[in-house]
Amino acid sequence: MEKTYSPISPDQSTGRGRIRRWFSGIPVLGWIFGALVAVVLEYYLGDALSEVLGLEKVPALFGVTLILKKPLLLPKCLMFVGLIYVIPISVVAKYLSPLTNRIAGKLIQYPYGVSAVLHLALLYAVFYIWSDVSAYRLLTLKLSLIAVMITLSLNVVNGYMGEFSCSHPGFLALGAYGASVITVLFFVKDKLFGAPLLPPAIGPYLYPVALVLGGLLASVGALVIAVPSFRTRGDYLAIISLAFMFIVKSLIENLEIVGGPRGLSSQPGWSSLLTVFIWTVLCVWIINNFVRSTLGKAANAVRDDESAADAMTVNTRRTKVVTFMFAAFWAGVAGGLYAHVIRYANPGDFGIQKLADVLAMVYLGGLNSVVGSIVGAVGMSILGEALRPLGIYKWIIIPLLLILVMIFRPTGLIAFREFDVREILKPKRRM
Amino acid sequence: MVFFLQNLVNALQWGSFYALIALGYSMVYSILMLFNFAHGDIFMVGAYIGFGVASCILALASLGANTLPNWLILVLTILISMFLNSFLGMLVERIGYRPLRDAPRASAAITGLMIGIILETGILALFGARRISFPPLIQTVTYNMGGVFVTNKKIVIVLVSVMFMLALHQFVRRTKYGMAMRAMAFDYVVVPLMGVPLNTIAAMTFGIGSALAAVAGILFGVAYPVLDPYMGIIYGWKAFVAAILGGRGSIMGATLAGFLLGFIEIFVAMIFPSTLRDLIAYSIILLILVFRPHGFFGEPYSARLRL
Amino acid sequence: MKKGLVTITLFLLVGLLLSPCTWGRVKTIKIGINAPLTGDIPKVGEGTKYAAEMWLEDVKAAGGIEVGGKRYPVELVIEDNESKAESAVKVQTKMITEDEVLVIVGPQSSKQAVPAGGVADNYKTPMISPWSTNPDTTKDRPFVFRGCFLDPFQGPVVANFITKEFGFKKAAVLYDVASDYPKGLAEFFKKAWEDIHGPGSVVAFESFTTKDADFSSQLTNIIKSGAEVLFTPQYYNEVALIVQQAHELGFNKPIVGSDSWGSAETVNLCGKDCYGLFFSTHYAAAGATGATKEFIDRYRGKYGYVPDDVAALTWDSLHIVQKAIESCGKLTGRIGKDRKAVRDAMAKIKDFHGITGKMTFTEEGDPIKCAVIVRISEKGEFEFYKSVCP
Repeated sequence: MEKTYSPISPDQSTGRGRIRRWFSGIPVLGWIFGALVAVVLEYYLGDALSEVLGLEKVPALFGVTLILKKPLLLPKCLMFVGLIYVIPISVVAKYLSPLTNRIAGKLIQYPYGVSAVLHLALLYAVFYIWSDVSAYRLLTLKLSLIAVMITLSLNVVNGYMGEFSCSHPGFLALGAYGASVITVLFFVKDKLFGAPLLPPAIGPYLYPVALVLGGLLASVGALVIAVPSFRTRGDYLAIISLAFMFIVKSLIENLEIVGGPRGLSSQPGWSSLLTVFIWTVLCVWIINNFVRSTLGKAANAVRDDESAADAMTVNTRRTKVVTFMFAAFWAGVAGGLYAHVIRYANPGDFGIQKLADVLAMVYLGGLNSVVGSIVGAVGMSILGEALRPLGIYKWIIIPLLLILVMIFRPTGLIAFREFDVREILKPKRRM
Repeated sequence: MVFFLQNLVNALQWGSFYALIALGYSMVYSILMLFNFAHGDIFMVGAYIGFGVASCILALASLGANTLPNWLILVLTILISMFLNSFLGMLVERIGYRPLRDAPRASAAITGLMIGIILETGILALFGARRISFPPLIQTVTYNMGGVFVTNKKIVIVLVSVMFMLALHQFVRRTKYGMAMRAMAFDYVVVPLMGVPLNTIAAMTFGIGSALAAVAGILFGVAYPVLDPYMGIIYGWKAFVAAILGGRGSIMGATLAGFLLGFIEIFVAMIFPSTLRDLIAYSIILLILVFRPHGFFGEPYSARLRL
Repeated sequence: MKKGLVTITLFLLVGLLLSPCTWGRVKTIKIGINAPLTGDIPKVGEGTKYAAEMWLEDVKAAGGIEVGGKRYPVELVIEDNESKAESAVKVQTKMITEDEVLVIVGPQSSKQAVPAGGVADNYKTPMISPWSTNPDTTKDRPFVFRGCFLDPFQGPVVANFITKEFGFKKAAVLYDVASDYPKGLAEFFKKAWEDIHGPGSVVAFESFTTKDADFSSQLTNIIKSGAEVLFTPQYYNEVALIVQQAHELGFNKPIVGSDSWGSAETVNLCGKDCYGLFFSTHYAAAGATGATKEFIDRYRGKYGYVPDDVAALTWDSLHIVQKAIESCGKLTGRIGKDRKAVRDAMAKIKDFHGITGKMTFTEEGDPIKCAVIVRISEKGEFEFYKSVCP
């Protein structure tokens, strides 16, 4: 049901031919409208409906958690999900399609930024209302969006440039600590740095600056990997990046000034949904433009054959440095946001475990694909939450699923696909 | 001097684990060009299998009332566990790697990673949360050699691991299968066309690597008798470093790099404040790779990642 | 398609009729347990879970918790935080907003308790961490409490004990630099020791990283430094390795530990090497009397081993929670109000007699309680040696 719900990739809502045909003429706008209706319905009627159905409360994460805990509630949960999500979304999307197609058609005549902003605003409204039901949803949503940023930025290096880089937890840590130190130092009274240096009231306005500085710190860290990558690549680069990750972790553990292994706490909670959403959209948009730009194509060329690329006047050194720093920047920003969502940063969190998580997200979603990264990150985050009731068997089921995906789709779910915003925003006439 | 010698002895023991684990890693890596990220966990399972086998033998021996000498139990444990663990290795190859032979190699790395997680969770579910204490197969005897303390365990561990390394070296150099492996390491695309059975060789590689991991696991249990389901992760990744540092296609290289890694870790802690150990140790590795970008013994090759 | 729809609808309706009836909601008290069941320290999670289940049995046998003359049934919500900070925060949020628990017990280690405490305080839900010793966990968080003493107290206790007992002047410390608890305690010990014996009296201050198994290099340094005693505030699995390796390298001087040694596993894993060593902890299992003994015997009978300090502290924390709920007058059914009432009741608890000692909460929500020095006997039991009170 996530698939029908997911407004980003309506094309994925496959099914048998008849269903596909029934839904064929609906533009993205239509799906977003449908989702909007569904979440509004849930917001106002969710409690009443769950009361009528005899559920304790509105089921989180589409009822999966509840079903796993009490299998007998399956029909009730299905009923709830059907009544709240599936039926409203499909009905609204279907019957508003003439209208939404017309609107989309009108919008496409303006510069496509206008259309994009409108879509995103509606999408944000959907997220906002959906997550307003409970703080748990909000947290899951925020962390999923941050996971999208992390996964995308790793995909730039591992997918588009074809290096097996293991350093991403290190970049995350640099960004998290960079941004946290700034916000805590300037705006929060705490025991490590003492009284705030600036009035906390202006903090939220300078928060983006802190994030960017965190990202830049990660970029500088990326130079440590980018420079050796001139002479070496592939597997040797993999262990250079792994060594880098260990070094960053060990460095932070030894830096008493930021708390060492105790971690850094008391970050202000400025990572609101809007902030995270805007940064994620920026990240997706800029990375998508990057990979479609000359530089992105140059990275592709470096991946496919470095010597040939060099011969074809691609400046491989510049490409590598820029790509590494660019990816690290976004990882750093994501790390900063992450530290302010959790409101804690600990060097132990940025180790091998994190690396395995992120790698799994990238390769599940698919290499060289922006949509793939989004699907991979959101899929893994939601799956990880929804399967919680399975206890430790969760860690058998999820790896098994991933192995199966790898066996049947070795490049990941949606690999090597371009993400064309214009194509997506276009109206879709009925066939 | 005594201080230095003591550390040398310590480093020899510590390095032999890295070397043994790195060997299995390196073989898979050399022959199939794949990262076997499950290898650390295969090592962990090897230790658990060793624990099971040793406990069974001890129980049987005490039932029959004729007590076997401890060295015999150790030898039996090692042999049986090698045999059993090589099956695990082949199974991992069959499930996680063979279907992905033509896939991008990073995908195979991910399946390896996932198999590793399954193994950890499986062991955790099987044994519960308690740590396992490895049965003391060797009664510790400490010899004081002019201030340098050497235990009989250390001697056994270093000797056994060197023995297995030499045996592997001979196997690869002298036998027909060894030749097939070397040929495969040279070119795994063309060589199968010459009639070398790729699947057999691949399974064998995994089998031998896992058998060596079992040896490492048992020796590890002898030296550090506390087993836990997550102990393989960090050694797996460090063996990854050692295997690649050693260079592709070089058994000698992997062995030496394993020892080198052990030596770096021990001697860095000796010279510098030990809080900075990881920081300095990995900086050294990073520097080594900056100046020798293809490892120690590997030949510079233009690896095209099959992405 | 039509046929399919009809079938699905029928199936749903039948299922609806068959599924358990939850109309007429019974009001239950839900207690959240945030424990590391997988990840680095599964044993800690297991101890937490077992202690909580034992407590639940008692409460069920009594017919629930009595508040204001009315008995409410109790339900435990046990969630796994995978010993990750991120998961701890997620789980905490889930229990507070989805499961609507009244009180949360856990997380255990500070790495998870610090961020999770922030969440609890944010949503005004009382939380008690049985085992977290980091001052940040409760600092400026009125809704967060803890069940154990802090490192700044334990460090001097051990330093004074060694000084008085053995009269040593030179000490060495070996600790895990990547782990919050050992590092904090090592530093407090160092400070206390140097306050007594002057700067430089901690002759070796060596460290390693979580998951290391070989400490020979650090121990060689320690032996070279001429230390008379080794203090190592490590977890049970590392204790076994450290003690054995120290003996193998010829270190035959006393090794002293901290409360993290207090697990049955320590002796299981370490064997004879650990006999005769001392450590400071929350309670002594051997020779315990009264409620403590009862708890230990029951736990051992049920799960087959002597409970660790985590289990004992969790048990105490749950009883503190129970007492707080019982003494908060009445439950209104509005969760926010009830949580506040429970929090206030908990802060007011005075001289609570737990199996790990008597405790009263300070302003910060930290208990004032005594530490116990335990000696590992020749039978491998934890014998009471002496008690140190603040």
